[in-house]
Amino acid sequence: MQPDEMQDEMRRESQDGRGAMTPLDPAQVSVLRLRTALAAAGATLAALLLDIGLLRETVLPPFAVPALVLLLALAALIVFPVRRYRGWGYRESEDEIQVRRGRWIRVRTIVPFGRVQHIDVAQGPIQRPFGLATLTLHTAGTHGASVQLPGLAYGDAEAMRDRIRAKIRQDLV
Amino acid sequence: MSETLFEPRRLHPATLIVRWLRIVPQMLFAGVGVAAAARNGGAERFLLFAGLFALGGVVFAFLYWWRFRYTLGPSEIVIEKGLLNRQRRVIPFDRVQDIAIEQRLLARLTGTAKVKIETGGAAKDEGNLEVIAIADAHALRDFIRGGARAATSEATAGPPAAPAEEPVLFAMDLKRLLVSGLFGFSLIFLAAISAAVQQLDQIGLVEWEDWFTPERAGAATQFVSARLVLGLAALVVLLGVLAGIVRTVMRDFGFRLTRAEAGLRRKRGLFTLSEVVIPIRRTQVALIESGLIARALGWHRLSFQTLGADRKEGGVQVAAPFARMEEILPILAEAGFPPPPPRAAFRGAPKRALLRKIAPYILIAAPLTLAAFIFDIRAGIGAGAMTLLAVAAALRWRTQGHAGDERAFYLMAGLLKRRLWLMPHEKVQTISVSRGPIQRPLRLATLIVDTAGAPAMRPLQMEDMDANEAEAKADGLYAAFLGARALVRSGHG
Repeated sequence: MQPDEMQDEMRRESQDGRGAMTPLDPAQVSVLRLRTALAAAGATLAALLLDIGLLRETVLPPFAVPALVLLLALAALIVFPVRRYRGWGYRESEDEIQVRRGRWIRVRTIVPFGRVQHIDVAQGPIQRPFGLATLTLHTAGTHGASVQLPGLAYGDAEAMRDRIRAKIRQDLV
Repeated sequence: MSETLFEPRRLHPATLIVRWLRIVPQMLFAGVGVAAAARNGGAERFLLFAGLFALGGVVFAFLYWWRFRYTLGPSEIVIEKGLLNRQRRVIPFDRVQDIAIEQRLLARLTGTAKVKIETGGAAKDEGNLEVIAIADAHALRDFIRGGARAATSEATAGPPAAPAEEPVLFAMDLKRLLVSGLFGFSLIFLAAISAAVQQLDQIGLVEWEDWFTPERAGAATQFVSARLVLGLAALVVLLGVLAGIVRTVMRDFGFRLTRAEAGLRRKRGLFTLSEVVIPIRRTQVALIESGLIARALGWHRLSFQTLGADRKEGGVQVAAPFARMEEILPILAEAGFPPPPPRAAFRGAPKRALLRKIAPYILIAAPLTLAAFIFDIRAGIGAGAMTLLAVAAALRWRTQGHAGDERAFYLMAGLLKRRLWLMPHEKVQTISVSRGPIQRPLRLATLIVDTAGAPAMRPLQMEDMDANEAEAKADGLYAAFLGARALVRSGHG
């Protein structure tokens, strides 16, 4: 599926009667893929080491376990990144931002700009080559004390931060 | 205090005693090994070490006192401390959430008090002035309160003179105190005893292995009878009740809640006197709770969630520990909270939510029941326990409900201990709707309303609402929040 197609489908999918949500930057799929690939490589390596060592004492045929792990890892690599990408969405309005996240447990959070204490824009080493960033909104709450929005184009994230910052009123708690 | 107002100041000299008493036991615990060695060397060696510790304690206490300074500014307080790692902390008055004055027994003997300045930040001991003269403590508090007010509402007056008599909102006489103690049943003494024995064991005064030998245990079993076990159980219960009364009396003796200028002033304590002002503008949520028996007898506890409240007490400030509902209502009104709506106003979760609540227990109970018939009858115990849990879950489903009006959102939950939260709409931080994998096919969702200083363990959440209703309620709460905020802002100018 092409990234553009995927974005279109996302827009259709998140029409839940409450208006459409904006999907994350399509490059986020690549970030998630790279992350999953690293984890998969780690798991396969661990299985290989185990195969050379402990598993030789058992009746299991050589390379059976690492092959199985590799297969599962590849399946995960195909399924998870797209699924997780589709879990995310956001909608920025005049006074608040709504963030939707999760595929397994789906959560929609409303963050009023008046409640934002401070804002972070962060860029991890995997995000950097793709030009993506994570926007984090901090509030004085506990359960929703920090609301994250990963996978925004760096420029978009900064622009959004500046827009929100302009709207933050110095409300005392 | 006015001439040298902005001079750097040290703590009261009684700091030396307070610190010394704290440091020496610490050093003794640190030196358990030394102490054990000293015991082998006889009483003189032990005395020598004890003396060294005591002397060391004097030196450390003095250094602490000498290196601790606090300076008042026009709009901030600066606290400097530390011997090698100097730490300089600036606390602006308008960030101060709470100022508590506490007098332990020793402090009362020396006419001093501990001042705790809370800002609601993550660090603990944010602004503790451990020992200052009691008059200074009150002056300091009034000055910070006055400064904070001046900074936020441009009042030009200096620190206001404390009015002679504040109206009393709630007080407890001795009889009420003792009755409330009966409900404070606590087995904490068992933990205390076992901790003490362990401590003694470590120091080497008591040897567990010598006490409990297999021979002794065998001999002891001959004396174990049903009567003895029942007697012991009764004793434990009796001690538990007694411990509850003692703890309650020590904490809540002379409980008085008065209307202070900026909030509710609470004084309490038998040996340790504490005084706290719960600032009305900083209260987030009111919580009314009561256990099964207390509720049947019409007793409730009222507390307020504030940002600066002590996390040890669950992040709330108790305003009335043991009160009738008709005593609670005026306090709520004074703090600007609406009265709780009647039980009938609360909407429960839909019937199909029961399925989600009891399904996990039934799923475990079913194979266990099967196992009980086929393999081992003892599996039935597990099945029975799971069934009981399922019943409890069903009852909890019945209890939970939410309500709302133009002023606040209300939530009720809890099977044995029932809790009722009152949250004015303008106190919302974030609103979330969460749908898990079991909830989704059942079209259920959990509504979570986050507030400032909310406890992590028990968030304000309505579980397993109808999914559409939850989404609509979230949007409705947000709209109510916007409306209430606009009202607050225009009201305050």
